[in-house]
Amino acid sequence: MRSPTLSRIPKSEKSLFSYLFALLFAVAFVDGWRRAEVNPLVFFDAENRGNLWKFISGMFPPDLSSDFLSLMIRPALETIQISVMGTIIAIAIGFPLGILGTRTFSIGGILNEADIQGSPLRRTWRFSAYFAARGLLSLFRSIPEFVWAFMFVRAVGLGPFSGVLAIAVAYGGMLGKVYSEIFEAANERPLEALQSTGASKLQVFIYGWFPQVLPNFVSYTLYRWECAVRASAVLGLVGAGGLGQQIEISMRMFNFHEVLTLLGILFVMVAAVDYISAKVRAML
Amino acid sequence: MRERVAMAYQYRLEKVGKVFGRRQIALARIDFVVQRGEKVALIGPSGAGKTSLFRILNCTLRPSSGKLWINGDEIESLHGRRLREVRRKIGTIYQQHNLVPRLKVIHNVLSGRLGRWSAFRSLASLMRPLEVELAWSALKQVGIEEKIFTRTDELSGGQQQRVAIARVLVQDPEVILADEPVSSVDPSLAASIVNLLIDIGRDTHKTLLMNLHSVDLALAYFPRVIGIKNGVALFDLSPDKIDDRLLEDLYSGHLPPSDQEKVAHAESNALAYP
Repeated sequence: MRSPTLSRIPKSEKSLFSYLFALLFAVAFVDGWRRAEVNPLVFFDAENRGNLWKFISGMFPPDLSSDFLSLMIRPALETIQISVMGTIIAIAIGFPLGILGTRTFSIGGILNEADIQGSPLRRTWRFSAYFAARGLLSLFRSIPEFVWAFMFVRAVGLGPFSGVLAIAVAYGGMLGKVYSEIFEAANERPLEALQSTGASKLQVFIYGWFPQVLPNFVSYTLYRWECAVRASAVLGLVGAGGLGQQIEISMRMFNFHEVLTLLGILFVMVAAVDYISAKVRAML
Repeated sequence: MRERVAMAYQYRLEKVGKVFGRRQIALARIDFVVQRGEKVALIGPSGAGKTSLFRILNCTLRPSSGKLWINGDEIESLHGRRLREVRRKIGTIYQQHNLVPRLKVIHNVLSGRLGRWSAFRSLASLMRPLEVELAWSALKQVGIEEKIFTRTDELSGGQQQRVAIARVLVQDPEVILADEPVSSVDPSLAASIVNLLIDIGRDTHKTLLMNLHSVDLALAYFPRVIGIKNGVALFDLSPDKIDDRLLEDLYSGHLPPSDQEKVAHAESNALAYP
């Protein structure tokens, strides 16, 4: 006997989509394994094992001689300087573009209806600014900082400035994109109230938008600075100054014990930056 | 001659309608005239379109149809600086205060000055408040001057509503629009806040329009009451002519609840209007 109450409980339906997704994942995994030449067995190959062992054993003991360490002070500072300058310029690029690329600021939402409606010229102007900002931001961040560094080394020569520029442009793109998302999440009701006092868009931004999102803004920017410290080490590999350049030189000379020291310095620096930004975030 | 007649009006609405999206009708057709210095209460069921109407009256939304004159200006032709100029003369008090929670009280109060300040001055005031005395006297008028340097989100709902009133005082507009100013405060405070707004309006000869949830407050304090339902004005009378039958009509559920929800939804969604 079927109980009438039981038959009334609706079945939770599995959509076709979840099966499709599982299948897609399986295909991607198998295909990726084959084509990306994933092969854990290489670690057991005699020759590779020897190379690996040479590399690792060559790292020990790390070079802690005062000669070497004192030589590395400058590159380490340079890495920090590259990351700081790069991030500051990235903010200068990402902040204005991020504002223009915010939908609720430029074209949509309650703040724009009265101003745009009935004025095709304004509408066109706002839409072009919005799409231009969005377009620039995606161009900047779709090219990795490594490739930007490569280009800037050709353009302005070897040295830390190309590293600064690479970080500034690539991170400007990332910051701007995330800033616009942060701005879009702001509560629009206070903004509406500010606008209704006769405030201009810029004033609404200064009084309503920015104060609302300040904690997120600062914490994401600090996180990007942290990434910039790491990135400026990698950028050195293509000749853009800093610790990375030293790592590259030591690698090429097979001085693996120096490489370990440099990695240690990098680790300490990143940990310190992490600590500082955590402290600042806690203050907000 | 015609110009002078027009100038005596604060507001003139002719067949004003508002549609969100394609078919969500918030306002069907509203006609009325408000003289300068007049005190008017608007009542009606939630979802009747009162909030949308206020958003049109303070130039946040534009009517989808019909015409609106403010002080003799037809607002359809206004954009940019001239639109801001009109907005500056209209102060709005919102149901949910709409203050910036992370700013100190003084900055929320002084934001009433933004229409008169340059962007640079506004920024400078955030660093070091300008016109502190003005903010102080406004806060004193609403009775919470001791909170001037408190962060706004540390205040109670009633105190925040007073900050919002102080912001309008500092803005010193010609018109005060108060959209359900007392529905989120203690009932015992409601009458005192309505009273305060009426006093302010009378002392400074401002036009006052107030959306009210409470019929009693509307009938007790206002010489003119407009009843709004389904986006049209059902009546527009002095309180002694409003009887129980009219009020019953106003609040009786002519609309099926689903439709009423739709309209209310459209109103709250106006924020996300594309």
